[in-house]
Amino acid sequence: MRRLLLALLLAGVVAEARESGFVLMSPETQAMQRDDTANPGMLWVEEGRALWDSAGCAGCHGDVAGMRGVAARYPAFDAASGGPIDLAGRIAQCQEARQGRTPFPRESEEALALSALVGLQSRGMPVAPPEDPRLAPALARGDALYRQRRGQLDLSCAQCHDANAGRHLGSSPIPEAHPTGYPLYRLEWQGMGSLQRRLRNCMAGVRSEPYAYGAAEYIEIELFLMRRAAGMPLETPAVRP
Amino acid sequence: MPRTGSAPSRRMPLARWAPVLALLLAGGAAAEEGIPSLTGQPGDAARGRAIVATRQRGLCLLCHAGPFPEERFQGDLAPSLAGVGTRLTEGQLRLRLVDGRRLNPETIMPSYYRTEGLVRVGPAWQGRTILSAGEIEDVVAFLLTLRD
Amino acid sequence: MARTLINLPRTARRGEVIEIRTLIQHVMETGYRPGADGVVVPRDIVTRFTCLYNNEEVFSAELAPAIAANPFLSFSVVAAESGILAFTWSGDNGFEQTETRSLTVT
Repeated sequence: MRRLLLALLLAGVVAEARESGFVLMSPETQAMQRDDTANPGMLWVEEGRALWDSAGCAGCHGDVAGMRGVAARYPAFDAASGGPIDLAGRIAQCQEARQGRTPFPRESEEALALSALVGLQSRGMPVAPPEDPRLAPALARGDALYRQRRGQLDLSCAQCHDANAGRHLGSSPIPEAHPTGYPLYRLEWQGMGSLQRRLRNCMAGVRSEPYAYGAAEYIEIELFLMRRAAGMPLETPAVRP
Repeated sequence: MPRTGSAPSRRMPLARWAPVLALLLAGGAAAEEGIPSLTGQPGDAARGRAIVATRQRGLCLLCHAGPFPEERFQGDLAPSLAGVGTRLTEGQLRLRLVDGRRLNPETIMPSYYRTEGLVRVGPAWQGRTILSAGEIEDVVAFLLTLRD
Repeated sequence: MARTLINLPRTARRGEVIEIRTLIQHVMETGYRPGADGVVVPRDIVTRFTCLYNNEEVFSAELAPAIAANPFLSFSVVAAESGILAFTWSGDNGFEQTETRSLTVT
């Protein structure tokens, strides 16, 4: 019954017109994202290109252009852990299990650079995390986390991003929260960051204890959000205010 | 039917009826109870205005607009505070601040004087209410002055 | 070595005005911001950018703490002759970095 309700819910979201946070930005910031010569995220992509060779990815994967379509299909099911895995997790898993080296830590410049490089290969393609039935329990947990009221302010993601998308928290327009552009360059951060960094900001904003980087809860939330965004074009590396 | 006293008869003077009439005429909002003072002391409206206008303290202007010409970028997630002193009684204002979820379980209005039933509160705020009892009385005193 | 992105055409006609766009990965720590421990983080910014076109300065800029991190500078140059464009960023803590690109003018 819950699966049916979830399917109907997701179908309901898909049926409505969805908007990326891109449309809420000023023309100047939109221009920054569109222009690869001005998008600061491209500095991390260039870093990623260097790492693709120096960190040995090319040894197995060849030219990075072969990664086309990969980022759009995450979070995916990971047989090794029996649960969902995000792209950054897969890269780290590759380094550890197949290269036998210590992976770049979560949210490190190197990890962000590789995620940005691989993400760029899917830019423009529709978000399409696999509809693997083995992901159903994680998807349901992600849905529940999205609706969980938390923090001293006792607010859930859904209360802002579903019920109040398009209205304003102070000066900030509230987006629908489709993570189509991660990792992205946030002007507020003056740097690159992952979806997990953004989720932590939001949780801190409602005065809630964030989960640690790499926590299963973040992957479950990301799985839910990417299914909810299915069909929207990937924008990595995006720019946001 | 009144709980105490005799049933009214046509020979009762109007004065006996006045409070009942007043309640009926005031409309549905009057039927909702407010809550009494948290401190027993009157709040300071000037301090209350400072709390409301400083978004890091009261958080109010993130969601509510109001008569604060010096504050830009007021939010639009909640009703304007202009005139709220004429629409709600002191007790009703206090109830909404203390725990608006008692009126609407789905509200986005945080509960400014509740610590139970919260999930994963950050360590800096655990065991603390968003505003103290005295601050809530100050805010209520200020909101009552908004009568335009 | 800070990562840089430099965009300009490889070739140009003599007299053509070309646009050069530069981006450098560098913090612009203002020197006013307290860190997590409450101590002010020392200033660390790029302070100057110059472009030499066959050793002649054709563009320069002074940067101040108000400029955002990873500064983007875009400017135009008249393509006079084939040669080398040298872009130099310098700043606090002895930071200095030069990148060169060649331009063929026909």
